[in-house]
Amino acid sequence: MKKMMKRVITAVVIMSVALGLTACGSAAGDKAGASDRKTFTVGFDAEFPPYGYLDESTGEYVGFDLDLAAEVCKRNGWELKKQPIDWDAKDMELNSGAIDCIWNGFTINGREDQYTWSVPYVDNSQVFVVSATSGITKKSDLAGKVVGVQKDSSALAALEDEETPENIELKDSFADLIQYADYNTGFMDLEAGAIDCLALDIGVANFQVSQREADAYIILDDKLSLEQYGVGFKLGNEELKDTVEKTLLEMVDDGTFMKIAENYSDFGLTDSVCLGK
Amino acid sequence: MSTTFMQLLSGMVVSVEIFLLTLLFALPLGLAVAFGRMSKNRILQGFVKVYIAIMRGTPLMLQLIVVYFAPFYIFGLKISQGYRFIAVIIAFSINYAAYFAEIYRAGIESIPVGQYEAAAVLGYSRTQTFFRIIFPQVIKRILPPVTNETITLVKDTSLAFVIAVAEMFTIAKQISAKQASVTVLMVAGLFYFVFNYVVAYIMEFFEKKLSYYR
Repeated sequence: MKKMMKRVITAVVIMSVALGLTACGSAAGDKAGASDRKTFTVGFDAEFPPYGYLDESTGEYVGFDLDLAAEVCKRNGWELKKQPIDWDAKDMELNSGAIDCIWNGFTINGREDQYTWSVPYVDNSQVFVVSATSGITKKSDLAGKVVGVQKDSSALAALEDEETPENIELKDSFADLIQYADYNTGFMDLEAGAIDCLALDIGVANFQVSQREADAYIILDDKLSLEQYGVGFKLGNEELKDTVEKTLLEMVDDGTFMKIAENYSDFGLTDSVCLGK
Repeated sequence: MSTTFMQLLSGMVVSVEIFLLTLLFALPLGLAVAFGRMSKNRILQGFVKVYIAIMRGTPLMLQLIVVYFAPFYIFGLKISQGYRFIAVIIAFSINYAAYFAEIYRAGIESIPVGQYEAAAVLGYSRTQTFFRIIFPQVIKRILPPVTNETITLVKDTSLAFVIAVAEMFTIAKQISAKQASVTVLMVAGLFYFVFNYVVAYIMEFFEKKLSYYR
């Protein structure tokens, strides 16, 4: 009896530990081509208004990009799944097939070879936001100042772009360059006076500035860089890209694209879209 | 404000689900791991020691990523949507089981050897000795450290977003970004505080209930 009990306990321990370690092997699914596809999972950073964010009054994820994705899905008879992701894990999410694309104010420039891209649909620029009382009015005023960016963002990439020596020079003139997990934290820091300037996408900058106290912030006319947004698919997934792109262009032709952009005109999207003009 | 509150509440449901399911699996698994850790079988003991060392020695955030993405990156399986939440529960359970195991072990090893000898003299089998004499005393002794771990678990649920499970704090951050305001983060803090207060209260109730010899 004693021995038996000991064996049972030993077996239970081994089994439970082994189960814990291998249970992760059981998840499987089937890969659906564009033709027999039923769902379309869009990965996005839900802290990136106006492209993708949480509408707290309905609990729905909305935004310019998600509205476009919803229309594309409607026309193809797919069910749209909006999957907010941790921006740091976006490549793992995409490569593992957990999401079908990244559609979220996703900058093409500098990432051309890493994803299969749709046509660009927004002309974006990276801009500097400063407090209106800071006295900063142009890029050269930023020397010796503390500047914030989102980690792994286009603004950061532009500042670190070896091919544009002027940007490197600008970055080297800063007192410090701080990286934030999300822009909201960056704005809080700017508000608190811990940093002097925030470099970010113009759409997000317009949104944030319009949401906060009037005339408290200004966007510098001097731009950091110009770039374009596209929909990013897993490298080599041409079939799905072609289907989505075709539908997107149809939406441009019949005016639906512009209509969706007009819903977000407060944030300057009607000016920045580069299709359907 | 009331709709914001409702959104936070729906996120809190996810946090509480993670919390309860983790406790449900980690508490028994921890006991099993503790037995393995105390086993006289050197191989089993060594294996469990390595397991505990890995679980305690690496960040839970990394463990979440490994559990979720390993099927694809190691076995080439396509990950299904439903696996996100399952992966969170697996990662949290095996991580917390390691901590609970050491708490159980501390409790079990604190019981004087004389009690085992007395039980043997009285004709108790080893199983009877453990479950009728030792374990009830162990539970009394380990309640305070278990409360500690449990409260940490409540706050750790916010790590689940690393594999895109949107729990309460994620929702709070999303609303904060939308409203360009930090108020909602303070409300989120209040949510955690109230929940932990309830957890501590319940655990204290059990402690009092079990202190029948004092």
